[in-house]
Amino acid sequence: MRITATPVAAPVQRTPAAVRRRSLLALVIDALLWVFLVGAVALVLVPVAFMFVASFMPPAEIFRSPFPWWPSRLYLENFLHALRGNDGRYLFVRTILNSTFVALSISFATVMLATLTGYSLAKLPFKGRTIVFLLILSTLMIPFETIMIPLYIVVTNIGLQDTYPGLIVPFLVSAFGVFLMRQTLLAFPDELLDAARIDGASEFGIFWRIVLPNAVPAMAVLGVLTFQSQWDNLIWPLLVVQSDSLKTIPLYIAAFTEEKHTNEGAMVAVAAIASLPMLILFVSLSRYFLRGANLFSATKG
Amino acid sequence: MTRRRLKLNTSVQGRQAIWGWVFVIPALAFFSLFAFYPIGNAVYMGFHRKSVLSLRPPQFVGLQNYLDLFNSPAFWNAWKATTIFTLGTFIPLVVFSLLLAVLIVSRKRFQRFFQVTLYSPAVVPGVVAALVWMLMLDPRGLANQWVNFVLGTPGIDHRWLASASMVRLSTMVVYFWGYLGFFTIIYIAGLGGIPATLKEAARIDGANALQEFRYVTLPLLTPTTLLVSVMSMIFCMRTFSTQYMFTQAGAPTEPINVVTLFIFNTAIRDHQLGMASAMSILLLLVMFFFATLQFLASRRAAG
Amino acid sequence: MARTFTTLLFVACMLASSALAQTEIVYWTHEDVNRTELETRLIAEFELDNPGITVRRVTHPSANLAQLLLTAFAAGRGPDVFNDTIANQYPYIVNERVAPVDPAAVGAASLDEVYARYLDGTLDPVTFGGNLYGLPLEVTNWVIFINKNVFEDVGLDAEVDYPKTWEEMMEISEQLVIRDGEILQRRGFDFRYPWYLEWLVPMVEQLGGELVSADGEAIVNDEAWLRVLSYMREWGPHGRNLGSPTYRNARALFNFDNNDIAMTHTGQYQIARIQADNPEFYDSGQLLIVPFPRWEDAVNDQGAAYYGHYFMVNAQSNAETQRAAWQLIGYFAEHAEEYFATSALVQPTHELLASPAYRDHPFSEVFAADMATARSVYYGDNSPRIQQLLKDAVEAVMLQNREPADVLPTLREGVSRALRGDF
Repeated sequence: MRITATPVAAPVQRTPAAVRRRSLLALVIDALLWVFLVGAVALVLVPVAFMFVASFMPPAEIFRSPFPWWPSRLYLENFLHALRGNDGRYLFVRTILNSTFVALSISFATVMLATLTGYSLAKLPFKGRTIVFLLILSTLMIPFETIMIPLYIVVTNIGLQDTYPGLIVPFLVSAFGVFLMRQTLLAFPDELLDAARIDGASEFGIFWRIVLPNAVPAMAVLGVLTFQSQWDNLIWPLLVVQSDSLKTIPLYIAAFTEEKHTNEGAMVAVAAIASLPMLILFVSLSRYFLRGANLFSATKG
Repeated sequence: MTRRRLKLNTSVQGRQAIWGWVFVIPALAFFSLFAFYPIGNAVYMGFHRKSVLSLRPPQFVGLQNYLDLFNSPAFWNAWKATTIFTLGTFIPLVVFSLLLAVLIVSRKRFQRFFQVTLYSPAVVPGVVAALVWMLMLDPRGLANQWVNFVLGTPGIDHRWLASASMVRLSTMVVYFWGYLGFFTIIYIAGLGGIPATLKEAARIDGANALQEFRYVTLPLLTPTTLLVSVMSMIFCMRTFSTQYMFTQAGAPTEPINVVTLFIFNTAIRDHQLGMASAMSILLLLVMFFFATLQFLASRRAAG
Repeated sequence: MARTFTTLLFVACMLASSALAQTEIVYWTHEDVNRTELETRLIAEFELDNPGITVRRVTHPSANLAQLLLTAFAAGRGPDVFNDTIANQYPYIVNERVAPVDPAAVGAASLDEVYARYLDGTLDPVTFGGNLYGLPLEVTNWVIFINKNVFEDVGLDAEVDYPKTWEEMMEISEQLVIRDGEILQRRGFDFRYPWYLEWLVPMVEQLGGELVSADGEAIVNDEAWLRVLSYMREWGPHGRNLGSPTYRNARALFNFDNNDIAMTHTGQYQIARIQADNPEFYDSGQLLIVPFPRWEDAVNDQGAAYYGHYFMVNAQSNAETQRAAWQLIGYFAEHAEEYFATSALVQPTHELLASPAYRDHPFSEVFAADMATARSVYYGDNSPRIQQLLKDAVEAVMLQNREPADVLPTLREGVSRALRGDF
């Protein structure tokens, strides 16, 4: 251990006064640390607070100097404009539904397929399993951005351009998901599986009735992470979607902010509406999000 | 009983092997079509010239695309932009997430509250983050107001979205803000893995908090630091939406023309699919290198 | 998984059922509230006259249209009818992605008759290899729009004091600007930034320079180019700080008369948009429109480039759809006067240009006179890329304060490569 090798001040007997002075100092330092921490958290929250406050302001106030931090009057027109769009077609509402549908479909498919594949790789010995595992593992090292253009060519070649399947299918399985579920299921007790086999359960039955229910916590984490990353996906819809009826939120926002009729109030209202569902989801499921961040790192080994 | 178990095993093993394959086939088919095939296709396209709009078959040009890339200042500029962005973002990320993690863990109360609040920017969609920051970085926006207040320099325009160095800094700030909480959480997990007895031992030896951090916590956190560094580097190299949104809003392209944006524009604006494919392959090779590093790092973190 | 397959099946059924229906024309265009109202009505009338045809009109934000068209066409799923600015559309002609005009379907006896309907030269950009590939939705040029209120605010009479030269433009803008320190609260004039082919190239041409010479050489006349780039640097935050691409789009602000912009440059269609966005301002008579400025020592007396948005038809649509599409476009073209009346869009037919509606429209003569001096916007297989190269050059001098002399060689190299089709 490093500690024993490093020189550390030898314990010294202190007078009561010195101890008191020391504890006072510690108290001051402690208070400063609190201030620093609270300050850091407050700074991190500034953009979020700005977004919500500004969305209730008349557009002219958003660039007022100094920024008022409280709307002079509750200006809901921003939200109406955001929902109505520049042309009164309420496309944003459709867009929210699209994003929800796409992100949910992908999350559901990813969770199911990743669990199935992960289970097989963890618990069903078959010839070539290591190679399959390594193959899947290798795709973990291919970030989406590097294959977006090649993938775009493939998806257009098979005719999925500008369709829901075109948005969804390329994300049905994630290598990370397979990996996560395999690592989780490695610890699954073999006795339970064997007992089920002796009872004559089919392999799929075992997966469905025994493995799946026991993997729910890990599945929830994977689902939440997948949902979040899909809600955020800009680059892929940018390539495959042309129809208004298929647009997802990031795509809509990117277009809406470029449009000349859009004022700052409506922009920031669109932003607020787009982030609200994620923030609500996050606050209510923060356990899974935080655990997800950990698993992201810890299970990769 | 033993006999029955044995018999079960032989027949069951065969059955398991079959079902094992059946269960991985959907995933394998998927990865073949949506990961391996596109890469193969990109390799092929990388040796060809093809316009996005052209209906003619791709024209074989050998290594010409790669040679053109290596001779192109714009290509090297893209790597420069990505490198500056990555270095400028991941180092502060590692330092501050470690600092915040240690601070949070040292608090007896509100630990969870701090974690949740710090993490919250990570769930705000990247496009929304870019949009909100663009409004704050507007010449009349919050950023100028606050910085001028702190520096006592009223009326100065810091050109957050205009000058080359500032627009680079702005993209870094947006990214830093988005991922700080994420890496803090990872560090907190790493800190949780340090046995309390070691810290106690250090305390008994008379170490103060700073010494304890320097000689106990930091060395034991090395695997986590390694992991966070490589992960944040990979995240940074993948950045796209911030740069896309900023350049669409009128920020100069050159300083923040990162590789991902460059690939996108080469294909979509300049219509050159072959060139974009060749660039994808090069990016893939670089990323593969870092991903291997990450894999090794996480091995160390876990073991 | 089951859910995904259900979706797949559902989409497949949708596609199949729409294919079985009668001829459907999918028409993509950019957002324009006035025109949407008009075309929705025209389409309803057209569908009534042609029971076998239905039209699906889809609008996209103008800034996104080019990219959406490209990704759709690349996938072989482009719309049957679309419009965009010619600089973006020209590659579709060169790559044989659009179909030639069907004279019979647009109600003409011959191709010559179609040409005879339009002002000379306005169909040149869509003429390629002896074929005609589009009909204009609008052709316009940009001139200067002035809000007289702001001029009055600083004691100027816009009618007299309006800027005639680029030199004056800078001086007058300086008088109109309100700053908080370096931060602009009100601008005098500001440019429309990413559209350099439309206004920056003509500024160079006024001084005798060229983007591409007749024999294909890039960036002709260094002196002219350096003058214009230096002017842009002077205009930007490192010079006299009169405007910049990172401020909000001047044209978007202009309509609202919020005392934050005095002048912008834009096309005739903007008049109808001001009327729609801010009738109060429009009716106040405080809108003034004057010609595109010239340099004091201009060699060529030349306005901003004119450019068209053309209706084009997807060459991959089946023959029947293509015919129906040209019928629709022909129907639109018959209503040129209504396009002008509702949206101030000029389809440059002799008939419209001679009509009292056009001649009596406020400021028509300003546009017409300037257009008579103007050249067409540059269009070519690589025009989107050249637009971007100009953008990089202007940003380098304006925002990064680089020397125009250092930037020009890069620009020339880039444009030469683009012209050669090299990377």
